[in-house]
Amino acid sequence: MRPLYALVVFGLLAGTASAQQRDTTRRMPRDSAAIADSIARADSIALVRELERIAGERRPVSPAPGGGVQSAASRLLPDISLLGDLIADGSPDGSTQEDQTRFGIRELELGIQAAIDPYLRADAFLGLSDLEGIAIEEAFLSTLALPHGLQLRGGRFHLPVGKQNTTHRPELHTIEYPYVIQRFLGPEGGKGTGLWVSKLFAPFGFYQELQLVAIDRFGGDAHGHGEEEEEHDEELEIVPDEPPNHSLSGLGYVARFRNYWDLSQATNVELSASAATGKTTQGVFCVPTGGGDEGPCDDRPTGVNVRSGVVGADLTLRWRPLQQGLYRSFIFQVEWMRQLNDDTPSLFDAPAGFELEYEGPTRNYDGVYAFARYQLSRRTYIGGRYDWLEDPELDGARLTAASGYLTMFPSEFSKIVAGYERVMPSGGLEATNRLILQATFALGPHRPHPF
Amino acid sequence: MMQWTRWFAGGAAALGLALAPAPAAAQLKVVTSTTDLHDIATAVGGSRIRATHIAEGFQDPHFVEAKPSYVLQLRDADVFAFVGLDLEVGWMSLLLEGSRNAKLTPGSPGYVDVSRVIPVLDVAVGRVDRSQGDVHPLGNPHYWLDPENAKRIAALFQQTFSALDPAGAATYARNAASFSSELDAASAAWDAHLSQIRGKPVVAWHTSWRYFAQYTGMNIVGFVEPKPGVPPSAQHLAGLVQTMRRTGAQVIIMEPFYDRRVAERIAGLTGATVLVLPPSVGGIKGIDSYIAMMQHNLTMLARALS
Repeated sequence: MRPLYALVVFGLLAGTASAQQRDTTRRMPRDSAAIADSIARADSIALVRELERIAGERRPVSPAPGGGVQSAASRLLPDISLLGDLIADGSPDGSTQEDQTRFGIRELELGIQAAIDPYLRADAFLGLSDLEGIAIEEAFLSTLALPHGLQLRGGRFHLPVGKQNTTHRPELHTIEYPYVIQRFLGPEGGKGTGLWVSKLFAPFGFYQELQLVAIDRFGGDAHGHGEEEEEHDEELEIVPDEPPNHSLSGLGYVARFRNYWDLSQATNVELSASAATGKTTQGVFCVPTGGGDEGPCDDRPTGVNVRSGVVGADLTLRWRPLQQGLYRSFIFQVEWMRQLNDDTPSLFDAPAGFELEYEGPTRNYDGVYAFARYQLSRRTYIGGRYDWLEDPELDGARLTAASGYLTMFPSEFSKIVAGYERVMPSGGLEATNRLILQATFALGPHRPHPF
Repeated sequence: MMQWTRWFAGGAAALGLALAPAPAAAQLKVVTSTTDLHDIATAVGGSRIRATHIAEGFQDPHFVEAKPSYVLQLRDADVFAFVGLDLEVGWMSLLLEGSRNAKLTPGSPGYVDVSRVIPVLDVAVGRVDRSQGDVHPLGNPHYWLDPENAKRIAALFQQTFSALDPAGAATYARNAASFSSELDAASAAWDAHLSQIRGKPVVAWHTSWRYFAQYTGMNIVGFVEPKPGVPPSAQHLAGLVQTMRRTGAQVIIMEPFYDRRVAERIAGLTGATVLVLPPSVGGIKGIDSYIAMMQHNLTMLARALS
């Protein structure tokens, strides 16, 4: 209480020096040409006074229906928004960003969203970044009102695998996705292009939703490239004898089952389970029996399509007292995932004098994270996350990470996050410390993220 | 790996089971975004409707979490009535689309934007952007705090319910007339309060009391928020204290969901009274109808100003 009181007193003294400028009842200049800018600068009372004066001059002849001042054309425009995601990396041992920058624009996300007709709406999000250029992050059609609580979606979307994966990265509570999502689904979350159907039901009196998805392929990025394939592009091109989606069984399939309960007006919990499967292309090369460098096997493909998958469960507990909801809230979230890999992939026979070297994973990996965030004041939050996983990038060696976040929302439309993370890989690798500052902003009517 | 096939077969079976249609109900199912609309809808609909609401009266209606349980409320509704003017912009679209309810799509009779029958105040002109705070470009949405608008809302509900349930048209007309008569009778009794309030300077936290000020004639000389939705800075509070001293404002009106300590500090510097008034039905305990809410607010304000 005391610091704020001191601030008020200080402000009072400062205000005395320029009392006329602080007088919030003073009206803004009446020159109509200056109205727009004067309103932009004005405080609440000055804004109200200007609008009163203008309304008095306009004298509408009938009740003004909401939004009557807009032109028909502007009201038909889609919602256009831009999300900015700026990063400053102050890590002591050099930048930990993918592009090695200390200051970078990680991504700009352009959103265009609107109803197309009474039956469909469209949502498109383009990601713009120095690394990726322009990429279609999401672009899908959704039905608006199918019977029986059904909803269909077609296009590209974040896969409903786990809880956080469906959130766009700039809108996460943390700066990056948890490691389990980065490693099992992709650094920017798992996406896919295909069809999505969901059904709401409540036979037991609480919210349940089943989501089923079929996508062109599972694994790799949403643009149809496998991670393994990209890694080897410069050395050995990995080409299977047929694409993974050649047969329907090679497509990616995802299911998610959501269960949601209100424990009280202030507290609720969601417990959900997800599963995904599909075929991914893994490299297969020949190594001379007597030793030597690996290389493509003569007349044989350099890749095989192997089934892999992810299963997981997630729990989210939220607390937000309704009356104090502007100032206090708490969220706790835990997600577990297991990446399933074929331990005995069926491969073609090795040519005489060679042994086959299979590049893909042959064991399952587990990963989990727990995250909690508490709201300290109207604009300030403090949070932390603990990650544990068997890292596929380290051949299953354990990786743990602990991170803390202090978040400030200057308004609903901007966010500043200061994050510290200590990443602790096992297997004799050195721990690293990361110090990252993130600023995000939203321009325009960006659609709120689903609960 | 073959067990995946069983997983998805099981999922598809569950989906099929869940397709069974729900039994039809006799009453109109009405969901409102706020408690005020709920109370007026109940007064007009009587026993012919089953009404529920989403936001509570003691909750800031701008910031409602789009919880899945609200989606369940909406999925079988015949009517969704909302304040409009972007009051519910942060959560309404998610709930409506999540509900997959064809009766509640824009343009359907069940999609009721109540603001369309209201003479709206503070419609923005010229350039509008977020540097002005959480402005509502389409106008100030807190219109229910003027009893004349409550009557307009009742008339709209009568029209909507009658269109959807023609058999009940006479009942709705009777109920709406009864609500208006009750409100007129109450308004007549409030004249004494209004005479004590009219012209008196007050400070409000948010612009939500603009219609109430228009009705009562109270003179809002400043707001605690420097811009709509923006918490006050020390500099703004210092200016506000000066304004209060100059204008003689002795009452600070605030909603129950804001931080009272800030208002108390201003009051400590000016000798003003902090008045926590419910902006909606249910905003404080015991205020369980629209007329009771207006009665309470007018009584408390008149007492504080006299």
